[in-house]
Amino acid sequence: MASHPTAHWEAIGDATTFYRRQQLYSTPGKLPELSDYMVAACQHGGPLALMRDSTKLLTLGQLMPAVTRAQIQVWSPAGEGLLLFSWDQGKIIKFGWTADERLVILNEEGVYRVYDLQGEYQQYSLGSDTAETGVIDAKIHGGGLVALTSSLTLLEVKGWEGSRPLALANPIMTEPPHAWSIIPPDLNISRHVEVLLSVDSTIYTVDNLESVDQRLARGPFTHISPSPNGKFLALMTFSGTLWVVSSDFHRNITEFETSGVAGIDGPIQQVEWCGNDAIIVTWPSLVLLVGPSGDTLQYSYSGSTFAVTEMDGVRISSADVCDLIQKVPSSTMSIFRPGSTTPSAILYDAWESFTNRSPKADESIRSIRPDLAKAVDECIDAAGQEWEPQWQRNLLNAAKFGRGFLDFHNPTDFVNMGHTLKVLNAVRFYEVAIPLTYTQYNYASPSHLINRLISRNMHLLALRISSFLGLKPDAVLKHWACSKITRSKPAAAAGLGKDAEAAADEQVCNAIVEKFQQLRGGDCSYAEIAKKAWEVGRGGLATRLLDHEAKGSDQVPLLLEMKEDKLALIKAVDSGDTDLVYHVLLHLHKRLSLGSFFRLLEDGGARLIPATRLLEVYAREQNREMLRDFYYSDDRRVESAILCLEEATWMKDPAAKITTIKAAQKFFSEDKDRNFESKMMDENVRLLTLQQQLESEMDNKVAFFGLSVNETVRTCLLNGMSKRADKIKSDFRIPDKRFWYVKLSALIDAQDFEGLEAFAKSKRSPIGYEPFVQWLVTKGYTKEATTYVAKCDSPKRADLYAECGEWRLAGKECKERGDKSKLEELRKKCPNSMVARELDQIAASMK
Amino acid sequence: MSSADQDREEQSLDVNLLKEIAKKELINALNSVNGAKTLALDATLAGPLGLVTEVALLKIYLFHRMQDQIKRHVKESRKHTYTLLLVPRVSTLVSRILEEEGVLGEVSISAFNLQFIPLSDDVISLEYDNAFKELWVDGDETVVFDSAQALVSLQKLFGPFPQIRLEGLVTRQGKLSQSAVEPVLSSSANIDSLIILDRRVDLITPLLTQLTYEGLVDELIGIRNSHVELPVSLVNPPAPNTASGSAAASTSNAPIVNVKKDAKKKYHLATSTDPLYAELRDLNFSSVGRKLNAVARRLDEDYKTNLQAKSVAQLRDFVGKLGGLQTEHQSLRLHTGLSELILPLTRTDVFNKSLEIQQNLLASYETSAQIIAIEELISQGADMQIVIRLLCLASITIGGIKTKALESLKRDILQAYGYENLPLLLSLASPSLSMLAPIPLPPSAPQTPKYPFSSLRKSLRLLIDDNPEALEEVENDISFVYSGWAPISVRLVQCIAQKGGVLSNPAEREKGAGEQSKASISKVQAHPIVGWKGFEDIVSSIPGETVQTVQRQFDETGSGNPPMSANLPLREQTSTTVVFFLGGCTYTEIAAIRWVSRQNKGRRFLIATTGIINGASLVESMTAGGRSGEPKVGTAQ
Repeated sequence: MASHPTAHWEAIGDATTFYRRQQLYSTPGKLPELSDYMVAACQHGGPLALMRDSTKLLTLGQLMPAVTRAQIQVWSPAGEGLLLFSWDQGKIIKFGWTADERLVILNEEGVYRVYDLQGEYQQYSLGSDTAETGVIDAKIHGGGLVALTSSLTLLEVKGWEGSRPLALANPIMTEPPHAWSIIPPDLNISRHVEVLLSVDSTIYTVDNLESVDQRLARGPFTHISPSPNGKFLALMTFSGTLWVVSSDFHRNITEFETSGVAGIDGPIQQVEWCGNDAIIVTWPSLVLLVGPSGDTLQYSYSGSTFAVTEMDGVRISSADVCDLIQKVPSSTMSIFRPGSTTPSAILYDAWESFTNRSPKADESIRSIRPDLAKAVDECIDAAGQEWEPQWQRNLLNAAKFGRGFLDFHNPTDFVNMGHTLKVLNAVRFYEVAIPLTYTQYNYASPSHLINRLISRNMHLLALRISSFLGLKPDAVLKHWACSKITRSKPAAAAGLGKDAEAAADEQVCNAIVEKFQQLRGGDCSYAEIAKKAWEVGRGGLATRLLDHEAKGSDQVPLLLEMKEDKLALIKAVDSGDTDLVYHVLLHLHKRLSLGSFFRLLEDGGARLIPATRLLEVYAREQNREMLRDFYYSDDRRVESAILCLEEATWMKDPAAKITTIKAAQKFFSEDKDRNFESKMMDENVRLLTLQQQLESEMDNKVAFFGLSVNETVRTCLLNGMSKRADKIKSDFRIPDKRFWYVKLSALIDAQDFEGLEAFAKSKRSPIGYEPFVQWLVTKGYTKEATTYVAKCDSPKRADLYAECGEWRLAGKECKERGDKSKLEELRKKCPNSMVARELDQIAASMK
Repeated sequence: MSSADQDREEQSLDVNLLKEIAKKELINALNSVNGAKTLALDATLAGPLGLVTEVALLKIYLFHRMQDQIKRHVKESRKHTYTLLLVPRVSTLVSRILEEEGVLGEVSISAFNLQFIPLSDDVISLEYDNAFKELWVDGDETVVFDSAQALVSLQKLFGPFPQIRLEGLVTRQGKLSQSAVEPVLSSSANIDSLIILDRRVDLITPLLTQLTYEGLVDELIGIRNSHVELPVSLVNPPAPNTASGSAAASTSNAPIVNVKKDAKKKYHLATSTDPLYAELRDLNFSSVGRKLNAVARRLDEDYKTNLQAKSVAQLRDFVGKLGGLQTEHQSLRLHTGLSELILPLTRTDVFNKSLEIQQNLLASYETSAQIIAIEELISQGADMQIVIRLLCLASITIGGIKTKALESLKRDILQAYGYENLPLLLSLASPSLSMLAPIPLPPSAPQTPKYPFSSLRKSLRLLIDDNPEALEEVENDISFVYSGWAPISVRLVQCIAQKGGVLSNPAEREKGAGEQSKASISKVQAHPIVGWKGFEDIVSSIPGETVQTVQRQFDETGSGNPPMSANLPLREQTSTTVVFFLGGCTYTEIAAIRWVSRQNKGRRFLIATTGIINGASLVESMTAGGRSGEPKVGTAQ
């Protein structure tokens, strides 16, 4: 049986808090001496990356030829070599890990590569300016990096997709900081990265907007280390004082003098956090844990160590051993603390008695009956905190035992914990070597774990775990298929001819499809796998795989890359996503000659019509020249003409406008169905020419150009050119009625009442005389209006008089027509009693 | 009425959720840029955003052309960080344009996914102003895609639509249902089906003059993003001493206020802040005056009762009510004023003439005389949008206009309103819209199926006689929104969701049974959705495809025969039917659907649309279309 959990416990301070050192792996002789190397470790039980530290002297005996070149080694926490590659680029400034366990290496020229655990990488750069100035240091966090250039400015890169580096506020330093650190964006209130620079005796905090001097006097500092939750900072002064403050520098937490510690030897190596409440200071072969109130614990190691802050503790790797130091979790504490009498401790005790067949069990259970549910929960939780499967089992058994005495207890937690522990134990196994704690697992999510397994090519384990946890197998299958394609490549290349290659493609494709169907990974994207195949130069396989892709939008980018232009366009149109269509169109427009681009669209027929329409929309806004060519080459006269007309509407220069409209007219005339439009444009040109003429006649005092026919007539009339107006009427064959209305309104507006009268008498009005009355009334000329009432149809006269305010005349009109009901109606509407009386009189006289 | 309101509120899907989400997204999007920032908004976006969040939350500065702005700043080498938020998503096109302008490097682009915005508790809109024109004049189907995305989000929020019905879609929106199988967040709200109507199924309705209160305000004054511009004097409460007297007295003899000249202020027409509006908006304008009068009387009573309050307790009661009374008072004053603004506009010659032509055309009464009447309107210089609307209406209802007459009309239009309107006429005549067709069609033109207007009018009982005996019938049918004309789109919705309402008026039948209880008992339990059953012939006569989909998810989770068995046991439960208008809908259609909703027990409607349209905005969007590119010509090279 494994040693009791408390065996590794050590009390700190007043013996109410315990810390435990859990040995994760024993690695004697597996890892090289860490002091010779620069080390970067990945959080959440990730691997260590090592590179020879060129500033350190090397014993000649150890010197091996390979070491002369920069070389990166990646080791699992259990001391298994995962990856080894040499670096041929410029001098490495910094390397570190991303949140998804990829290794980032940045060199002095600002070039950085992101390696996965299989040694494949993407390369990005911080830009040409940075390459010139050079990078002197950098900090890498899970979701990006901050680089310090030799001109002492800071550049931030967000994410690992090669996004453009953003300059942070310039702290204005004259020399590089003594030490610096960053608080990653996800731990900051502002959700933006914050850089802490130790300059002189103070610290500057810099984000993308401003650089703030915190006005400290205790610096300079050799180490700045933010806590895992970003709320506290551990600062180490040159004199060896450890100072802990809140990260806004408003609160002092604790202070500790490290120089007095017995057994220290050499300079401080690391200042790291153990969870969020204790700090680890390391010297060669000594690890000092400083608790919140300045109490300490010492751990010794043989040789150098490397400490990695975890969210719930600290992982320490040394040449011989890999340990996890953490505060004993409260549930574990309450069960195992010596002399504990909490319900959970009693429950555990009862279970032990029960297994020993002791009657004490019953008595114990009775005593904690009211708190039993809580005790059960605590046992379940404590099981998750234990490393040894034996103790996990004991605690779960205790929980199960307690559950037997409860009427209602939700078993979900119990079952989940069992599942989780199985998974955790599997991945903690030294061959897998992911020493994940329960807390970390919950924080990082199961799918994160799956991704970590597949990046180690452990597809089977990943698949089993995902089906055990009820996750979709897609991610695993996808990665598996990609690896399969990469691995099977040599076989295909060695093949004897095209047939052999095709057969190999067929075989791989079938294997992949079959596996997918078998495991119901139906939602898995074949396009991404096909892309992989294309990237490794297997076009045939890519096409085959692409055929299995259900989503059109995913096929398109690869099809474009494979130069399957038409197919790409068709798929894009079918997807209904207009942005995708634009993507293809713009891409093709750039790559193909204009002629073949147009031909592609024209030959596409009905299926590509939506694409054509989109191109037109885009070109109308952005590239009219191209649109003109397109319409012309496609013989689309009407559209060409409309294009001309659109342009004509915003042309200011009269001559150019007329030319453009003439061009439009020509286009219309070339289409036999557009006779009418052609004629209209002809008229338009005639009108514009006439307007030019009119303007010059009037010495440009009156604006005519661009008016409509009606407005031209009206303007002529307002300016006393009634002859011209008549001429326009006949030239443009304006119908009588319309002409009369226009003239009527113009004369009224000009208050030319004599002219109006003459006009009314010129001939019988085609529009009658009612409009004369009504329009005059609306404009307020009731007196003038009255004169025209007599010319209107007699049944309407009474109302019209009333509109003019001539109530008596209206009344008379009724009387003449003998229309009593009308009179009554008027009587009701009349505005005042005087009028009413008059109307009454008329009514009376009618009898 | 009030009881209907109540159970509506109980059962309603909480569309405000959408608003909250949009608001949160905006804040997140803005927070992703650190520190103090200047927000430059495209002018067309300011309106919709105003519906989502209070302006006070943001400081809004209006610029128009972003890239010019940036270029200038770059020249001056001023240090700014630019973030471009694109609505609703990042587009290749924008990055390309920025690239061409040479400013791509200066901006970081991200998306702000603004989708459906609730305009009211049963109307949600994407607020795309030009959806109709983009879809059917330009052939740009982005709107379709965005709508599909938005509907999918809606599903995520409220649970899947068990059945989807598409009507008249020639575009490939079938994609929608494929992409729609997504995880469901909550399926508590019971959506029984989604009906998607292509605007082209019913082009007639938007061409007509809307006759409900809200519709008329939109027609004559204009509602943009639920805001209406009113003279300041109307919106701001007057000095307290004049307030008490004026409210009740103002229905008669209104002075004609000149709408154009006065200083304007935007007023948000929302039922949450303006309870009276909820009662008024869907009334036919003819009954608005009566309603206002009644409310004024009631308010007067309320004020009087408190004057008689004797005891301290009574007084306290009154003081408690005072706030509510004052709000109501203010809102009464506003709506009275607004109706006064509208009233003279409805008395003009042109307005009445165009109404008359509309009614005659709908009844196919002396069609050639109507064409002449339209010509007369042109001669009189009526607004172009009115003329165009009437002309299109004539073409659709008659089935085309004789070539010679049409050409002379078009000539009149071009001469009267300017030759630059030729592209507009051409787009109206294009086969995708065919709102303006000559008879006979030129031989080269593609043969499009004719809109079966006269058979629809009969089978869907679209026209209700305007004689006095039928007046009550009009009020008891959706046709009240156009004083005797039932919008085809809503009739089609009825074909699915309220079959009885298509054949005859539910209230009419009720009368035979018992006169005394018209309002209370006439509510019929809604029948389950069984598709077009009974109306297959009618529906198939309308051009365009009809699609019915039962979504896969529902098939698996529900019982074997979802439409019947799944819905029958749920008698007591209220389900919601979502009606989506692709290409926009009018306020009258909303009013009509609300009316349908009130008739049935157990079914509510949620109206989703790409935007609110009316005939004027339709014509305007097509006119303005050609000119949008203007400012850029200089910079494109």
